[in-house]
Amino acid sequence: MKLNVNGAEIHVATGGKEFDSSLSTVLFLHGSGLDHRAWALQTRWFAYNGYSVLAPAFPGHSLSGGNALSSIEESGAWLIDFLAAAGVDTVHVVGHSQGFLSGLELAAQKPAVLKSLTGVGTAAAIPVNPMLIETAQKSAIKAAEMMLQWGFGSNAHMGISATPGMQPIAIGHKIMSSNPLAIDLQCCADYLGGETALAMINVPTAMILGGQDKMTPLKTGKLVAQTLKAKLTVLEDYGHMLPIEAPKQVLSALREFIVSVEQ
Amino acid sequence: MSRSSFYHPDTIALHSGYTPESDHGSRAVPIYQTTSYVFESVDQASSLFNVEQGGHIYSRISNPTVAVLEQRIAALEGGTGAICTASGMSALFTTFITLCSSGDHIVSSAQIYGSTATLLRHTLKRLGIDTTFVAINDKQALEQAIQPNTKLVFCESIGNPGLEVANLPQISELANIHGIPVVVDATFATPALCRPIDFGANVVVHSITKWMGGHGAAIGGAIVDGGNFDWEMSGRFPELTEPYEPFHGIKFWEEFGPNALAMKIRSESMRDLGACLSPNNAFLILQGIETLNMRMQQHLANTKALIEWLKGQDEVAWVNHPDLEENASHEIAKKLFSQGGGSMLCFGVVGGRAGGAAFIDALQLASHLANVGDSRTLVLHPGSTTHSRLTTEAMQAAGISEDLIRVSVGLENIKDIQNDFAAGLKAAKRLLKQQGSAQ
Repeated sequence: MKLNVNGAEIHVATGGKEFDSSLSTVLFLHGSGLDHRAWALQTRWFAYNGYSVLAPAFPGHSLSGGNALSSIEESGAWLIDFLAAAGVDTVHVVGHSQGFLSGLELAAQKPAVLKSLTGVGTAAAIPVNPMLIETAQKSAIKAAEMMLQWGFGSNAHMGISATPGMQPIAIGHKIMSSNPLAIDLQCCADYLGGETALAMINVPTAMILGGQDKMTPLKTGKLVAQTLKAKLTVLEDYGHMLPIEAPKQVLSALREFIVSVEQ
Repeated sequence: MSRSSFYHPDTIALHSGYTPESDHGSRAVPIYQTTSYVFESVDQASSLFNVEQGGHIYSRISNPTVAVLEQRIAALEGGTGAICTASGMSALFTTFITLCSSGDHIVSSAQIYGSTATLLRHTLKRLGIDTTFVAINDKQALEQAIQPNTKLVFCESIGNPGLEVANLPQISELANIHGIPVVVDATFATPALCRPIDFGANVVVHSITKWMGGHGAAIGGAIVDGGNFDWEMSGRFPELTEPYEPFHGIKFWEEFGPNALAMKIRSESMRDLGACLSPNNAFLILQGIETLNMRMQQHLANTKALIEWLKGQDEVAWVNHPDLEENASHEIAKKLFSQGGGSMLCFGVVGGRAGGAAFIDALQLASHLANVGDSRTLVLHPGSTTHSRLTTEAMQAAGISEDLIRVSVGLENIKDIQNDFAAGLKAAKRLLKQQGSAQ
């Protein structure tokens, strides 16, 4: 569906079902350079099993209008406006990589909105090599290639796909190289509020982490899990792009956690 | 990189899509000779049917062995996904029928395989899909042929049997400006020689029966989604951008983006048309793909040597190959086929149609049959076989003369191929002499 948020038309995936704000809602937030399609194999299950789903493409990304947000703090504020536009008071927040930082910032700015928080392939801070940002400023395609090379685990590099016949690296390449990757990466590099936000979280939390993650190494994600006393799932054979490279395992962990919170 | 993998093509050809399975550690890709797959639970079954998760339901739609082949071909071509089909022709029909409906229109190169021409000219016409055939490298003719209901531009990267190389950058730019995707049959090229997506094509189709398999033991086809076409911006494809009722109103473009077409083909066309590749054939073709690049290099070397030899024979009227300056598309071929323009060549034997027939009948090593891309050398007279259903005008438009001999150069020792062809040329010369003395 399309939502007008602060004058920009935002594309929101709803898992293949019409959005119903009366249902418990799961908010899926994508990572740097990606879009709502990162969650294609998680959102449909929730939408068809009693939940409502909101998986926006952030402003300036893929099918969404507007300009890319220039800081994580700004994306936290934008999410408040987004949820208001959707008519939702409380949500389960699921964030991948940068999306988790945006979720943290949402929690810091409006804690009451959170029913639960799940981080997928992420940490409280995501320092980015300045060379990668510089590359992204010059060529999103080159930067996307670097990120995909680091971001996917060994199985994806070997052409293994959870969806028969598909090539996740090529799909990621197409999406990332046409999105404002440099701005996203700069947002991650600049964000220093993660630790403060973590201290404000008082809802159930979960962390789903990749054992081969080179972008947000496992130990950094584990520190977040420790701080939050979060339910921890480690997918040993996978890298940073967990929603895409391990969709079934991520969905399974998400289902178990969110259903248990609801109960 | 191929955009699908950071490994090099030789490595992709050996490994992509498969790591040793956990139960037995089989190094080779196992043949999953099964029709169907046991569901873990009602919940999981429901999820699979509702595209909530990837996985296999029924081998008409997907199969683990076939999926390895699909992922390997997608990686070799640099595509976002691939679907394998029962044959090259079913790959073409599946592509056309996924993108076109009754009342739609296709612009096609006139220089294409005879059966494809028949499919477009007659079978699709019967379904209400019209085709305009053009000289595909004529920019003006191509632009003039595009209509408001045109759904795709089709060509072969190397035309069969005229061996005209399609100017893919020019064709793709023009078609895409009009919001139309370009579908390329790259059977003669294989990704080892030319990857159409690199030159702007949007969908690549293969008869993997040919060089991809290489052994001539299994028939199959493949469709590769380039992931580089904006179906929404085009405005011509509501079937990809609007709700698809049979899957709870799924919008393929919104949900899958760069692999929307591949997912549509999987969800709709494989389900409805049923032209699936058998797991056993997928296994056989995988064996061929493992050595694709090495074989193609030897094909090229033999082709180059045979061309030089043929050009030196008095009984040969002419030789055509994209690497030759005489070929109308030679300059394009140099750009698109940096290693060489494939292992198909055509030549004319003195004595016209009868001379050609005498040549073919005298061969002992080369096989006279209706196939190309085998590891063995194959010869054919298209005018009396694959293109016999075409009118004289259509044959001329397809670049076929009556004396044309099509050769798919194999991997035998080049001396043996030359000796065999020498015997054939001798027979043609003898016939010519007999005809001369009879007159």
